[in-house]
Amino acid sequence: MSEPDEGMGRSDDDVRAAVVSALRRESPDIDPLVRVCRACVALLPVDGASVSVMSGSQHRETLHASDAVMARLDSVQFTMGEGPCFEAFDERRPVLVPDLARDGAGSWPAFASEIADQQVGAVFAFPIQSGAITIGAMDMYRREPGLLNAGELATALRVVDLAAVAIVGASSGDGTDADVRDLAPLRRDRAEVHQATGMLISHLGVPPELALARLRGYAFGTGRLVEDVAREIVSRRLRLESIDI
Amino acid sequence: MNDPALSGVPRELRLLQAFVDAADTLVDDYDVTEMLHQLAVRCVELLDAGAAGFMLSDQRGSLQVLASSDERTQLLELFQLQADEGPCLDSFRTGQPVLVSDLSESEQRWPQFVPEAMRENYRAVHALPMRLRQQTIGALNLFGHQPGPINEQDLLVAGALADVATIGILQERAIHRGEVVTEQLQDALNNRITIEQAKGLLSHAHGVDMNQAWEQLRTYSRGNRTRVSDVAYRLVTGELPPVALLPGRGAGPEHAKLS
Repeated sequence: MSEPDEGMGRSDDDVRAAVVSALRRESPDIDPLVRVCRACVALLPVDGASVSVMSGSQHRETLHASDAVMARLDSVQFTMGEGPCFEAFDERRPVLVPDLARDGAGSWPAFASEIADQQVGAVFAFPIQSGAITIGAMDMYRREPGLLNAGELATALRVVDLAAVAIVGASSGDGTDADVRDLAPLRRDRAEVHQATGMLISHLGVPPELALARLRGYAFGTGRLVEDVAREIVSRRLRLESIDI
Repeated sequence: MNDPALSGVPRELRLLQAFVDAADTLVDDYDVTEMLHQLAVRCVELLDAGAAGFMLSDQRGSLQVLASSDERTQLLELFQLQADEGPCLDSFRTGQPVLVSDLSESEQRWPQFVPEAMRENYRAVHALPMRLRQQTIGALNLFGHQPGPINEQDLLVAGALADVATIGILQERAIHRGEVVTEQLQDALNNRITIEQAKGLLSHAHGVDMNQAWEQLRTYSRGNRTRVSDVAYRLVTGELPPVALLPGRGAGPEHAKLS
């Protein structure tokens, strides 16, 4: 969002550059998700970050938590079935709680009482998703209460975009790990990518996350950009049968 | 989509009707997608524009298309080009209207956007900020086929329609809590992605173009009193079979003629 007092000086490019440079500080041998969480803590006024995935409506698993407090926050929520991160999963939208002591008990009483012994001032939970495809969530906490400002929020959303790339790359083995290192993909997909995904859902009769994985896999296998392949599919220049193999 | 009942009616009355419709929409469980689409269509009618659309801040410093007066792929592309450059991005960044009465004179300012817009036969483009107090959350974009300035009165009307859209997107709670603005904007943007996925699905399943797929989505949603984004989600996740949206099933064929 553009605001006259804050965030205006920080353009899209600045945010991208900062995220890129934070990631480059880490060794490429380290798991991409660990690097993404570290970059998150380095760039933002937060004390911990985690990435969780869900498969089906029941199974939820934290892939990485940067510290014990964050790990505890996630596990309490998954056990109790409530909490801001849990809600971000379910509602498929960010849940930002700038003052957990003030707002937590009213919204999530069991969660709030269970973590009362932890020093957690604020929690920010972002779903990792693309339309109807819900992959997981990235959660952050800070010891002191307080909301992220516009510039910090832009960085947080970028980091979440990157977590999505890291997860999809890890699960499909299509070489996106290299992308995380080079940071090329920090742009969001265009409408054609979503439309082509929809066409593949119908053509292949598979769930949306699989259709998107097929699209990406085909683009990677033929050495082309996903959005170029998508554009050809949508304009009916590329037959969907070519992607079946 | 011209409402035949309103053609020939003075503009003041049509304008009033647009606001009454918007106020009617803003009750309880309304559909943001449908409301914005109708506002975009009203913009075209009331301002004699060729096309209109709303672009929303993605909160990463750029803009995404949220709603448009029609869903032709070429038009959506023109809106989306402005994520990188164009009147909308400038209006969003400055919080001020950007009025371009003759595109052919602006090629240096926006070297990628202007040729594409002119290829689609647009000659004038206006962008108005969507503002919430000190923040700008997006921009209303108007395209015209004839060159020429927008008059003072039209500018007021466009500004008022942009304000209605802002209120509609953020819903009332947002006015009080800063963090809810983020939750609403991100929700609206993700719903838009779901709708694109559903358009692709329907386009393949029924052999129709993206605009027809969009009309199928809307027709079904209205016929079943449910949100466009919810119908899209159920389609994409396989909960609702695409055949349910074919004319003659459920929603009735008379709606299919609206495009």
